[in-house]
Amino acid sequence: MNNSLLVVLIAAGIGYGTPLLYASLGELLAERSGVLNLGVEGMMLMGAVTGFWTVQTVHAGTAVSLAAAVAVAALVGAATSLIHAFMVITLRASQIVSGLALTIFAGAAGLSSYLGNDFNLSENPAKHTFHAVFPSGWQDLPIVGPIVFSHNVLVYASWLLVVVVWLYLTRTRPGLNLRAVGDAPAAADAMGINVAGYRYAHTLVGGALAGVAGATFTLAINPQWFDNITGGSGWIAIALVIFAFWRPELCLVGAYFFGALQDLAPELQARGIHLGPTVFWTNALPYVMTIVVLVVVSASSTRRWLGAPAALGTPYVREER
Amino acid sequence: MRGITKRFPGVVANEEVDFDAAAGEVHALLGENGAGKSTLSNILTGLYRPDAGEIRLHGEPVEFHAPRDALDAGISMVHQHFRLVERFTVAENVALGDHRREGRSFRVHPRAIERRVAELGERYGLAVDARAHVWQLSVGEQQRVEILKALYLDARILIMDEPTAVLTPQESEVLFETLREMAADGRTIVFISHKLHEVKAVSDRVTVLRGGHNVATVDAADATPRSLAEMMVGRDLGEGVRAQARDFGEVVLAVENLWADGDRGGAAVRDVSLSVRSGEIVAIAGVAGNGQRELAETIAGMRPATRGSVRVAGKAPRAGDPRGAIAAGVAYVPEDRLGTGLSPSISVASNLVLKSYRKPPASNGPLLRLRRIRDRAVELISRYRIAAPGPQAPVRLLSGGNLQKVVLAREFSAQPKVLVAAAPTRGLDVGAIESVHTYLHEAAANGVAVLLLSEDLDEILTLADRIAVVYEGRIVGEMARADANVEEIGLLMAGGNDPRHD
Amino acid sequence: MPAAALVFAFFASGLVLWATGHDALSSYRRLFDAAFLNKGALGDTLVSATPLAFTGLAAAAAFRMRLFNIGGEGQLYIGAITGSAAGLYLGGSGGASAFVIAATVVAGCAGGAAWALIPGFLRAFCRTNEIITSLMLNYVAGYLLTYLIFNTESYWRQTNGFNASVFPTSKTIPSSAVWPTETIHVHGGVALPLGAGLAVLAAVLLWVLYTRTRFGFEAAVLGDSPRAARYAGMRTRRKILAVMAISGGLAGLGGASQVGDFRHQLDADPNGMQRQFYGYSGIVVAALARYNPLAVLPVAFLIGGLQNAGNSLQGADFPSGLVGVVEGIILFSALGFEMFARYRIRVTRRRRAQAAPAPEAT
Repeated sequence: MNNSLLVVLIAAGIGYGTPLLYASLGELLAERSGVLNLGVEGMMLMGAVTGFWTVQTVHAGTAVSLAAAVAVAALVGAATSLIHAFMVITLRASQIVSGLALTIFAGAAGLSSYLGNDFNLSENPAKHTFHAVFPSGWQDLPIVGPIVFSHNVLVYASWLLVVVVWLYLTRTRPGLNLRAVGDAPAAADAMGINVAGYRYAHTLVGGALAGVAGATFTLAINPQWFDNITGGSGWIAIALVIFAFWRPELCLVGAYFFGALQDLAPELQARGIHLGPTVFWTNALPYVMTIVVLVVVSASSTRRWLGAPAALGTPYVREER
Repeated sequence: MRGITKRFPGVVANEEVDFDAAAGEVHALLGENGAGKSTLSNILTGLYRPDAGEIRLHGEPVEFHAPRDALDAGISMVHQHFRLVERFTVAENVALGDHRREGRSFRVHPRAIERRVAELGERYGLAVDARAHVWQLSVGEQQRVEILKALYLDARILIMDEPTAVLTPQESEVLFETLREMAADGRTIVFISHKLHEVKAVSDRVTVLRGGHNVATVDAADATPRSLAEMMVGRDLGEGVRAQARDFGEVVLAVENLWADGDRGGAAVRDVSLSVRSGEIVAIAGVAGNGQRELAETIAGMRPATRGSVRVAGKAPRAGDPRGAIAAGVAYVPEDRLGTGLSPSISVASNLVLKSYRKPPASNGPLLRLRRIRDRAVELISRYRIAAPGPQAPVRLLSGGNLQKVVLAREFSAQPKVLVAAAPTRGLDVGAIESVHTYLHEAAANGVAVLLLSEDLDEILTLADRIAVVYEGRIVGEMARADANVEEIGLLMAGGNDPRHD
Repeated sequence: MPAAALVFAFFASGLVLWATGHDALSSYRRLFDAAFLNKGALGDTLVSATPLAFTGLAAAAAFRMRLFNIGGEGQLYIGAITGSAAGLYLGGSGGASAFVIAATVVAGCAGGAAWALIPGFLRAFCRTNEIITSLMLNYVAGYLLTYLIFNTESYWRQTNGFNASVFPTSKTIPSSAVWPTETIHVHGGVALPLGAGLAVLAAVLLWVLYTRTRFGFEAAVLGDSPRAARYAGMRTRRKILAVMAISGGLAGLGGASQVGDFRHQLDADPNGMQRQFYGYSGIVVAALARYNPLAVLPVAFLIGGLQNAGNSLQGADFPSGLVGVVEGIILFSALGFEMFARYRIRVTRRRRAQAAPAPEAT
């Protein structure tokens, strides 16, 4: 039973979907404050390369190395997003152009590749990687085994993160303020909320989480480094936020769904099932679905319920007092 | 408040104003635009610091350094433009506005807030579903949320800024009930308005401001709408009217039983009928927000009419399509110069052909004739004496008066049949105002039917041949210039003719 | 683009190089040589610059009207698909045929335009944000491209031959569909591909369109103030569709050029054309050119030089990825300086405005 297609897909979905989850949660927070950050792919790659480098260079036990690596990845991700934040919040530059510039700067033909090749990181596999937490006995349990118990710390931490973000948004005052900043910055400003401060903070957190997402690749999923190891996941994460209607719990569902899609084609092939242009559809489906969602969301009647933070993408200029 | 003085460069907004209000009182602050009402209330809520004078609360002098100080002192204001987040629920908005100690807590307790909101709502007749999202509520209900925010903070002094501007008559009644309840509780309500019958209906005392001064403070019971209007407007208008000896031609603009909706739903133009002849200047007097903008937009084709018709020279242009109106010969000078009437980053020359670029001489088939456009611009700039860095300069660099000149130059040079000018001199200095008036006269002299919408009585009396007054979307009075009487017009503008009064 | 920004950019990149133990000056020197001075460098730079010019023009055409078409990448792919289809279908042996080539040009434009009309329609009629929709379609286009060669026996796929049975390849376009080149006798002879010539032509036409026609006038107003556009009676939706089509068509032409000029087949390799990110770089080019079509050409040339240099110098002692770093820094500097200048103007204007009466009258 543990080898049934469904179980395998779900388990794989969770595995592949974890970086998507981290990155999309980060982007969700940034977008909720009104900042669209298209540079997710670049930030993820920076996290991937610096996390990997940390693991290779630090001389310590596994736990410490990995912890340090994740921390470094988060810091670097945040630092990378700082550029975008400064451009967009303080200088009020175009959020799109700045985000794309960030991707080019930090991405697969940019800084991350530069650092990776300069330090010859592609030569060796990672010295330490994340392993499954629970003993193999648990992993063999029917159904729940592969799905629940065979993952590493990063996966479980991501579950916790979803809960935390959800609580933050719905039950805390800063979360309430954040939502106000993204939906009606003028009203928030009138209430004495520091709009720019919230935007900076959440963009940086978004960057940090993107960094961690990138590190997930090089430290857990595919424990080595090569150029463009994230393979476009950053863009999927951006799509995912929309697909999830800017809600953390739906990010979880979406991330695993999209993650499962990535594994669908190889699994089908391994089972000798040919469904015609499956490869095309499983790859393209996340993107097509996001478009559909976006169209639905734009129709006025649903926009109010499901739509984007109203001030997303626009710089905030305080009106004359 | 004693001896409050506040100066801004170029204008003294408040001059030695004394104002006091007692607990349990509804005190109205009456005055026209520019009288100083909003400045005074901004000082009271801590947004501005007075240049002179002091504020005392319960006999103790207080100083507000920031709006938060005023809020802490128990002074809240409900603004004309609500400060609400539409996507949030009522409870969330109330929570957002809560900046006090318990509001500073990390956790938000939605249910506790909802309960308190329900309590307050019941107590004061402000029933509103705390779980509803603001965008689902009617405007009247949204206003209740704003009031609830203030009550949640236990405001002792509540300032309402033109609250009925967005309400239907029925909603206004309910609001007055609420205000009286709150006053009966010992709170103080400061009610800012320009509408006389309301002021009489709800307040205990009335303070009239004019030109930055406190003209008088009277008991509402003793005042009549006429006496209040007199105090509000009380200018000695010499009969400095320019002799108009003009022959008027045929009716060019005919508006019949026109209805049109406002932006927030609900009719903004109600059953308006009027006609303007060639060479005639008809002015529509009214305080901003009584449907003038919507009326102008409907005639100019930017807003669809829900009922009734607009005819230009006998023909009805396609409704809701600006191009139809433009083709029919309707020129429109909008209130919002830089936002609607002009394209800010584009050159002066281009703005001057904003409506005429489609035809020769501005274009030749699909191509623009840039030199012709530029020459034309140079010509117009000199003719209208527009001060601009050059015809290619982006138009947003120009000052207000010159912006308006660009718009007028463009509209006049199209040789329209009808000219609709909405608040054309708002925000302009004296010299610019002169120019605009001259151009309007010129247009009429050339046979254009001019429809002027303004809230400046001086202007109207100087220019108009006939005057109509608009109030809450309806025409409530019409007269020839010769028969016009300032006090009566002021009264009509403020709804004094309202059958609800007396 | 202010010179100050450029200087700052090189300084900042120099810092990065220094921080990682490289000699900045010599690296720059080598970059410059590889881009322009070395033997054959100019020709290679043109090869890199041509697609950038097309996607740069595509981005400029749309962004000027505040239509954020990020789908240049995907539109280029689709243009490559339709362009190569025309070439394969109509072409034959023999010398370059004007008819066939014209057909590939038209087909490429049409494909790109059609792909761009999807987000265009959604924006015009459903008010859906074109940024995300065009972005998503890039990926769909990419997968479609890969699928056509790697996963199915499509019209584009080569089925005969030894190589074809080992590894999926696409058909080579017949010789009459190959785009000709013109040799300029400068610096030992430089091959000017047809695509480059078409790009120059397109840039001029686009510039004329936007500055000298009614269409361009309306686009300018619509991008600046939609309310003023409505006031003046302009038709918004038609304009959105038209501009998206033009933008997509230009990118599609870039795709056709990839097939006709350079690769001579439909390059579906995920590590080939799809890794070059012409579309996204095109947006950078357009931004640096301040969306002026004529300026796109020299900027594309410069960035093309940079990319060419990066490619040819790639090796153990020259960090790959430097190209992206320098490009990114240039863009950030340019953006930053421009915004800073504008910001300062706004601050001084506000100070002047405060001298006028501030209170809103009640």
